[in-house]
This record gives sequence, C-alpha cells and structure tokens, in this order.
Amino acid sequence: MENGDPTIPLIQRVVAVLWPSFLTAGLATIIVFTIYDPQIVFSCVGGPEINRLGAYTIGFFFFWAINALACAMSMYFCKPCSRVSGSVS
Amino acid sequence: MNDQPANQANEGQDDAVERSLYAKREKIYAREVHGIYARLRVLAVLVLLGAYYGVPWLTWDGRQAVLLDLPNRQFQLFGITFWPQDFFYLAALLIIAALSLFFFTALAGRLWCGYACPQTVWTEVFMWIERKIEGDRPKQMKLDKMPLSARKFAIKGGKHAAWILFSLYTGFTFVGYFTPIHDLAARVVTLELGPWETFWILFYSFATYGNAGWMREQVCIYMCPYARFQSAMFDKDTLIISYDDDRGEPRGGRKRSVNPAEVGLGDCIDCSLCVQVCPTGIDIRDGLQFECIGCAACVDVCDEVMDKMGYPKGLVRYTTEHSVHAEKTHVLRPRVFVYATLLSVLVGALVVSIAGRVPLEVDVIRDRLALYKETNEGLIENTYNVKVVNKDQIPHRYRLSASGLEGLELINTMGEFAVESGRVLEVPVRLRIDPVNIDRASSKVAFEVVALDNPDIVHVEPARFLGPVLR
Repeated sequence: MENGDPTIPLIQRVVAVLWPSFLTAGLATIIVFTIYDPQIVFSCVGGPEINRLGAYTIGFFFFWAINALACAMSMYFCKPCSRVSGSVS
Repeated sequence: MNDQPANQANEGQDDAVERSLYAKREKIYAREVHGIYARLRVLAVLVLLGAYYGVPWLTWDGRQAVLLDLPNRQFQLFGITFWPQDFFYLAALLIIAALSLFFFTALAGRLWCGYACPQTVWTEVFMWIERKIEGDRPKQMKLDKMPLSARKFAIKGGKHAAWILFSLYTGFTFVGYFTPIHDLAARVVTLELGPWETFWILFYSFATYGNAGWMREQVCIYMCPYARFQSAMFDKDTLIISYDDDRGEPRGGRKRSVNPAEVGLGDCIDCSLCVQVCPTGIDIRDGLQFECIGCAACVDVCDEVMDKMGYPKGLVRYTTEHSVHAEKTHVLRPRVFVYATLLSVLVGALVVSIAGRVPLEVDVIRDRLALYKETNEGLIENTYNVKVVNKDQIPHRYRLSASGLEGLELINTMGEFAVESGRVLEVPVRLRIDPVNIDRASSKVAFEVVALDNPDIVHVEPARFLGPVLR
C-alpha cells in the first residue's frame, strides 16, 4: 500500500478510515433510525427475527462499515495519479 | 557491540519509547499536580462523573428519570416522553450544544478540553488509579524500566484489573441509559443479560479502557476533530495558557539567593516541571500549540515553583494574546455577541416550545381516490383519515370535531375513541356539506382533537375541503 502521504504511518491511516466513519455512523444511526424503525427495516428486507436493540446494533455497524468504505476510497483516491501511471510503465 | 554501556543506554531508550497506535511515542508520565486548577478539575470530575453514574438511578413519577428507551423508541426525560416525532427537539439540542462549544471556546479557549471532556475526565480517574497502585511519577518510570518480576507483574496486573473493573461499571452504566437500569442490574447479578446488552457493555468498557488507559493524549492529538478546528474560533482575545517570554527568558538554573537580574537571567529556572506535568507532553514555553488542552497543570506547578523561589506567580498563566503583548483585552467583542445572541434565541425557543408542548399529534390525510363525492341527496362529501398520536405517558379518550364552514357535518363512525400511550390511531371520517355553503373549489376546514379528561390536550389541524364551484 503506497496510498496517501508515505510520511503518515500506516496505523494512523487505518484510524483515519475507522474513526471518522465511527463518528458519522453514530450520527447516521440517530437520524435514520429516528425516522425509520430499524426493526421494521430488518423485517422488510427479510432478515431473521431480532429485537430492537439488536436491530439498532446491526444498523450502527452497517453504517460504520459503509462509511469506512467511503473513507477508505477517499484515502485511495488521494494517491497521486502520476504514481499510478508510473507503476504501470 | 563492544561498546557495552552505550548499547545499554540505547536499549533503555527503546524501552521508554513505547510502540503506540500511531507512531513510536515517548510514554508520558504526567506528574501529579496540586493547585487551584487541579482542584477545579477534580471538582469537575466529581460533578460530571457523579452525574454520569448517578443519573440513571434517579426516578421520576415512578419511572427512570432519564431513559433513552430504544427498545420502545421513546426517550423519557424527567416526566416528559419524547417520541420519534419529536426529533426536532433533539436536533435543536445538538445545535445548541455545538453553539455553546463555539461560544465558550471564543470566550475561554479550551475550557471544555481541560475540565469537561469525557476523555479528560476519565483519564483523570485512570491516572488516579495508576498513582494509587504504581506510585508517583518516578516510581512509575522505575517500575517500567524494571525487568519483569513477580512484583512488577502483580502491580501491573492489579492496575489493569482495577481499570477493567472500573471500565465494566462504566459500560454497565452506559447501557443503563438505554434499558431500565434497575432491571439491568438485577439481570447482571443473575447472569441473564441479553446478547446485545452484553455486547454493548463490553464494547463501551473496552472503549473506556482503551481511551483512558492507553490512548490518553493521543485521542486529543490525533482523533479529536475539535482539537483541529478550535483554532478557527480563537482570536487574540481568547483565554489561553501562555508562558511569559519577556519575563522568563533567558531561562536558567540559579540558587534561590541569587538575584536573577544580576546574573542576566529571567524568572524561568528551567526546572522542567511544566513539561513533566503536561498530559500531552508539550513544552508550554515553545508557545501556543494545538496539543495544549488547556488543563492548566503547568500553571499550577509553575506557581508553586515561583512561590518557592520568592518570585511573583503567573510566569505561566491564563491570559490572552493581546494581554501578553501588553494590549487591551476585549471580552465583549462581535463574535461573542453573535454566538451569545444565537445561543439565547435557540435556548429560549427550545424552552418555550417544550413548555408549551402538547402530548398529542394529529395528521389529516385526504382520501386520494376521489376529490369529492356527491351523495344521493346532493350533498358534497370528502373523505379523510385522521391520524391521532398519543404522545403522553397515559392513555386518553379523545373527541374529534370539525369546523370552518357553515353547516359542516362530521360523520365519524368511531365516535369518541381511546388511544394507548405512544400509539397511533387512524380514524376514518367524512365531512359533508350542502354545496350552497361553499363558494370555492377548495375551502379551509379544521379538525380539532381534544382529550376528554384534560381540555389542555388539544390539537387543531387544518385541512382542505374540495367541492364543485357553483357560483
């Protein structure tokens, strides 16, 4: 992985992906699940019977994963384009 | 390899450099500090943690006073029940919290970081536990340098056991905000916790243990968004902690009996205590740094040193950039007024709207199939679904009526109806009128729902009545 600024340690980049996504997942959980009941959402997609606390939990980790994906892609696209073509030649 | 002493010194240094989550960092052993700001922080810790651990146990009208009841999708706050429909209040509260942070930051710098941030508060407790078990700063450093022995293992193990116990109780309390805590406590004792409750207790405990035990200042430096953007709210009149360069420099050691002016020294005796007490490991004498969380430990310790030396206090002190440069400090300035005005308007609006909050919500949905219907008698009829939400903690019976047009007749086959606490009832109704009483295609009408046992619980919801245009 040569993503991003090589002077930033790998572990800091890992946290740069996991930590902001954690914060926004909390926000998304509050907003989305205030509007939609997570239990109903889960039964709509044919999930197994689950209590509401479980539905909130799975929802939170789902948001965390999705947001982490976005953060990881941002990090990936931060890679300078010149280096991409350089690695091809 | 043949240079044995140098090699040993290197190893010692490597031991001290702890492999941390971010980079190799020097482990920070913050020295204990006594003084006015340390006492203030202990007071803040006691009040805030007392509130955190105590509030879930409070009862109000026989219910848990503060319960964010996710399983039932309702928040109980001191006798008021908030439903998902009350999201507005939550949003307003979050905006108010953010604005307060801006306001206090502009006025007093990182007051939040130094005294109220959960990271600071829990770290303070964890460091207290550490000191009780491992001893003060020199003892902690000596212990870490020691090779592993039964004694070291026992001390370290004891510390982590105490940390973990405290973290577990913290995690338990956290879950107690979301499910009734008395019931939760009983089920902890009988080992009947649900899988999700167990998960969240462990997850939150782990976060507490990791953040306050291991991460500490790194959370502030690397993870805290506020630490990065708070400088945007700073100006030259913001309260900061600053070292008085003019007075302190040139720094240097001297005997107490020596008059610094005679040997060409400033007031700083270069004892490095301000560095030793700093929880983020910076040297305040290097100027304002974003790592500084404004805890004032350096102020306390330097004042103590100045006292011992017989110099005036305040070589390191709470001050403003203007004041350091001998200019006038303006406490009341435009940005403070703007934040204060916004804040008081929002808080006022929130208080007024919560005070006047009626625990009843009514939605009127028109029948989508037909605009209107003409009966055999030639009357015009509209069909509606009236949704009644009882947001109170007790069930109520309600009466529905309609008004707005002369001769308007309400046909409600359900009559008076009861709605359980927190439930929604849909009441299908029709409005009927003689067409001579309407003079336009769309007229304003209103549905009124009132609780029979309490006329203050009333809601008037406007709606449209459609009909043919005769005139």
